[in-house]
Amino acid sequence: MEDTENIEEDEYGFSRNYFLAKELGGSSKRSAHKLSDINLVDEQELRETASNIETKHTKEISELLDGYKTMYPKWVFELRCGFGLLMYGFGSKKALIEDFASASLTEYSVVVINGYLPSINLKQVLLAIAELLSELLKCRRKSSGSVSKSQETFPSRSIDDILAFLHGSQSNDRDCFICVLVHNIDGPALRDPESQQTLAQLASCSHIRIIASIDHVNAPLLWDKKMVHKQFNWLWHHVPTFAPYKVEGVFIPLVLAQGSTAQTAKTAAIVLQSLTPNAQNVFKILADYQLSHPDEDGMPVDDLYSASRERFFVSSQVTLNSHLTEFKDHELVKTKRNSDGQECLNIPLSSDALRQLLLDLNQ
Amino acid sequence: MAPSGTVADPPPSSATDSFNSGATAENDIRPFFVLHKASSGNLQAKSTGTVKSKRRIESPSPSKFAKKSEPESVEEEDNDYFSTLRLKVFDTVWSKIEKTIENVLRDSNSKVFSGIHDWIRESFESIRSSGALSLSEAVRSYPVLTQASSKQLFTALVLTRNLEMVDDLLTFEELHLRLKSQGCHVAKLSSMDFSAKNGVGGCLRGLLRQFVMPTIDVADVTILASWYRENKNHENPVVIIVDDTERCCGSVLSDLILILSEWAIKVPIFIIMGVSTAHDAPRKILSMNALQRLCASKFTLSSPAERMDAVLEAVFLKPCSGFTVSHKVALFMRSYFLCQDGTLTSFVRTLKIACLQHFSLEPLSIMLEHFCQDDSNQLSDEGTGLLTEATMKHAFDLPSVTRNKITRSTYEMLPQFLLDLQRMPNPWSIVVLCIYEAGKFDKLRLLDIFCETLDPEARYLKYFSPSATVNSQSHISGRNSVIRQLLRKLRDLSPSQLSSLLKSWEKLTAEFSEINDKVMELHPFMRSVEAAGQRQGLPSSPKKHASRSHSKLEKELKAMTDKVAAVIEFMLREYMKPVESVPFNEILCFKNVDKLQSALLGDPRGRIQSDLLESHSILHCMCCSQRGTTTLLPSMHDTSILYTLAQEHADVINLHDWYQSFKTILVPRSSKAKPKSKTASKSKKRKDRCEEPPEPPAEALVQARFCRAVMELQIAGLIRMPSKRRPDFVQRVAFGS
Repeated sequence: MEDTENIEEDEYGFSRNYFLAKELGGSSKRSAHKLSDINLVDEQELRETASNIETKHTKEISELLDGYKTMYPKWVFELRCGFGLLMYGFGSKKALIEDFASASLTEYSVVVINGYLPSINLKQVLLAIAELLSELLKCRRKSSGSVSKSQETFPSRSIDDILAFLHGSQSNDRDCFICVLVHNIDGPALRDPESQQTLAQLASCSHIRIIASIDHVNAPLLWDKKMVHKQFNWLWHHVPTFAPYKVEGVFIPLVLAQGSTAQTAKTAAIVLQSLTPNAQNVFKILADYQLSHPDEDGMPVDDLYSASRERFFVSSQVTLNSHLTEFKDHELVKTKRNSDGQECLNIPLSSDALRQLLLDLNQ
Repeated sequence: MAPSGTVADPPPSSATDSFNSGATAENDIRPFFVLHKASSGNLQAKSTGTVKSKRRIESPSPSKFAKKSEPESVEEEDNDYFSTLRLKVFDTVWSKIEKTIENVLRDSNSKVFSGIHDWIRESFESIRSSGALSLSEAVRSYPVLTQASSKQLFTALVLTRNLEMVDDLLTFEELHLRLKSQGCHVAKLSSMDFSAKNGVGGCLRGLLRQFVMPTIDVADVTILASWYRENKNHENPVVIIVDDTERCCGSVLSDLILILSEWAIKVPIFIIMGVSTAHDAPRKILSMNALQRLCASKFTLSSPAERMDAVLEAVFLKPCSGFTVSHKVALFMRSYFLCQDGTLTSFVRTLKIACLQHFSLEPLSIMLEHFCQDDSNQLSDEGTGLLTEATMKHAFDLPSVTRNKITRSTYEMLPQFLLDLQRMPNPWSIVVLCIYEAGKFDKLRLLDIFCETLDPEARYLKYFSPSATVNSQSHISGRNSVIRQLLRKLRDLSPSQLSSLLKSWEKLTAEFSEINDKVMELHPFMRSVEAAGQRQGLPSSPKKHASRSHSKLEKELKAMTDKVAAVIEFMLREYMKPVESVPFNEILCFKNVDKLQSALLGDPRGRIQSDLLESHSILHCMCCSQRGTTTLLPSMHDTSILYTLAQEHADVINLHDWYQSFKTILVPRSSKAKPKSKTASKSKKRKDRCEEPPEPPAEALVQARFCRAVMELQIAGLIRMPSKRRPDFVQRVAFGS
């Protein structure tokens, strides 16, 4: 009974705060100050300074992190009992979790997924995990003396097949598992339902344990009850670190540098690198075209299709469209109609940036 | 080319002893990488390690642990030994509980399952008797033309009585196995297979993969038909289980039904549909055409509350693992079940977390291993043998031990205490079950009774103590007391109910003579009540007589219920000893409700905000914590300052104003028009406390810090970035926890 009352009280507090805030917004006139009233420093300088901010309370933060070290044995025990660990609390937990893995999970293989990046190909991750697992199981079988199975090959299989392999692999040793470390399982590339379903299915394999971190206050909304209770099987750990979100924030534009919301060559390169080689090649065709025809609105889609098909990068319009969707989703490409009414593709980068990007890709 | 595609060897990791992982900068921008592999050397070491510990478990040498002056490596080895042992015991205990729960659930479903199986058999026979097809006919690429009635698909609607699908996943899994073991060809599809994206082809492919072969990649129903004619496959029915019908895409499911019904004569297919809302659910999602093809039967599973009670009974009140929970934990689990989640799955998970926490918090928990074993004699020798000097000290410092004034001098009695703890079925659980039996007439839930009877400070314990009198009952115990309610309702029981109650009590107490005797004493009274009832029921007796016998019956009945109430009171008074009042109960009883709650229910919304608003109390820094929480100091964490400032704003925050107030905190300006003395003293005080010089940061730095703090708030999901329509404002997303 008490609990019910508490919950109700909490909810009451929540709604009261909400309406108070709304009321405040309505009654008193909103401040008319503009951002441009601030004497904004040059964007370049701002970026530079932002990357070199001295962290406050470094001593206290490292003490806090050292304090969590005493929890490591407990965390290992929880993993061995079949639970997944979910770390939350303010501050970057990247260093903490990786330190935990390096210090206490030496007996297990550890795969790290950087969920804060804007694009992740989960199939490649699954492939890597499946290869690790088959290696591990082979090693186990050898040591136990039984005959090892023939070499497994994965690359041609679909995600479902790889998951089926991961589920099907059985070993009597319950303490034989691979740890998958997901930084920001609520990150931009993993936020969609399909990715979460895939991760949940991965988590439910008997030879996989997930250690993940979340930063968003509403992250639990990503999961339904089946995922929470049957698949991820989370144990929550509140571990605020107050460490700066250095890598996690790279892809977020600075609020005081609004002029340059365009993609920089660097972030574009990172996105492209996570795509398949064929997709990269299609992008290169587009980029070359744009560099050689700087005055045009962009490359007509049909031209791109025939050029890509000639070089065997795509087999049909459907595959090309799937690549284009990927590009558009990450704002690598914009579409426009030219004067003839043709649909044209355009990369929203300056020529210099584009050249740099091609150099990066060819390395 | 793409670094992400390869399983690269791990870079030399320097992060082992520090959090400063500069060398891994390259890894930071790779979508994924292998941090390290379990080296074969490690595997070897590990396997020998387990062998060693196994050997040591067989022959525990208590003296080993008493040596304190051993070098650290030995201590480490001991830790290893204990953690391996702890894991082993946890596995034993939990697998026992898990198995018990599985059995309970299987039992609760078995009646429905055999009903379904009978239905399939009967319908299948009726189809077969109507005439089998020859092979050539059956594999023809077009369906056989017959009258409309042969296009009917036999369908079972299984009402789960539970909106949460998660509880029934296991049920349908069991049904799958059960039907398979009885010779049916079974495939299981879920709502994921019936997505609009993949269409009917997706689910046909899924079916063929399960029936024909796992690598098949075409969706052609003729394959199913020809497979069915092969190798005597046609001697058994084909069953398709769809566990969550309501979540399926209706048009895809309709299409599948239409296709399959066309082939119904060639391949007799039975569809089992799990329905969680009501029996008319298919009418809402299926098309009219598809509905007409269904020939439905209905089956109903037991409700979550019923299953819950069965699980509770098997795990806590019947001999199981020995593990149990305290009153507070039980209350928490109850309110979590009733108010928040409502699924049995989550209840079981809560129990598992409680069990895990118990093992990681309580060193003596490893003794539970011996409670798990069936022969009780083992405990006294081996169980205490495991106790080391340190754990022994711990054992005698347990609150329940000191409270009962048991000291080391009574050491010899320890095995006795432990045996008492181990005794199953213990009187307490018998009493609880008896109460539950009586409460069934009033539809009382075991969960409620269980929670109430676990309370070591329950009022009825004092009330029923020998000194109290029966009549004071009316003003004692709270309104919500289940037991009180039960005693009150006892008066309304009919003679037949009373008699069945007595019978079940007799069965429950069979192994416990003290209570059993009391129950047996009631039998003569029961007989006289029954006799009175029969007399009253005689139709030939005149009216006068009837009323007299009626009043006699009432009198007898009243006397009887009084006696029954007296027995209940006797049981409560004498044997109601909740586990928490027994010495050494800490070995098996998990009590830490806070730990359980925080592990089970993370509260990111509340906790992340309170992290920011009370950063100094988490960081324990000297510079910020001396002034109360209300004052913002420049030494505080930037994001913390910014978020505290955001609290003063409405649902949208003007970036300019926000920045200015942020700047005022970071750069205290004594030359400004603000009250001079105040800021001056502030900065002076700050000088005393902070190590860094109070030199005001440059404008660029303030802006950069502001940007970073806003970015961090955005990562935490506490604010939303300016939109094109409102470029000068950010939006607050979270209000309070």
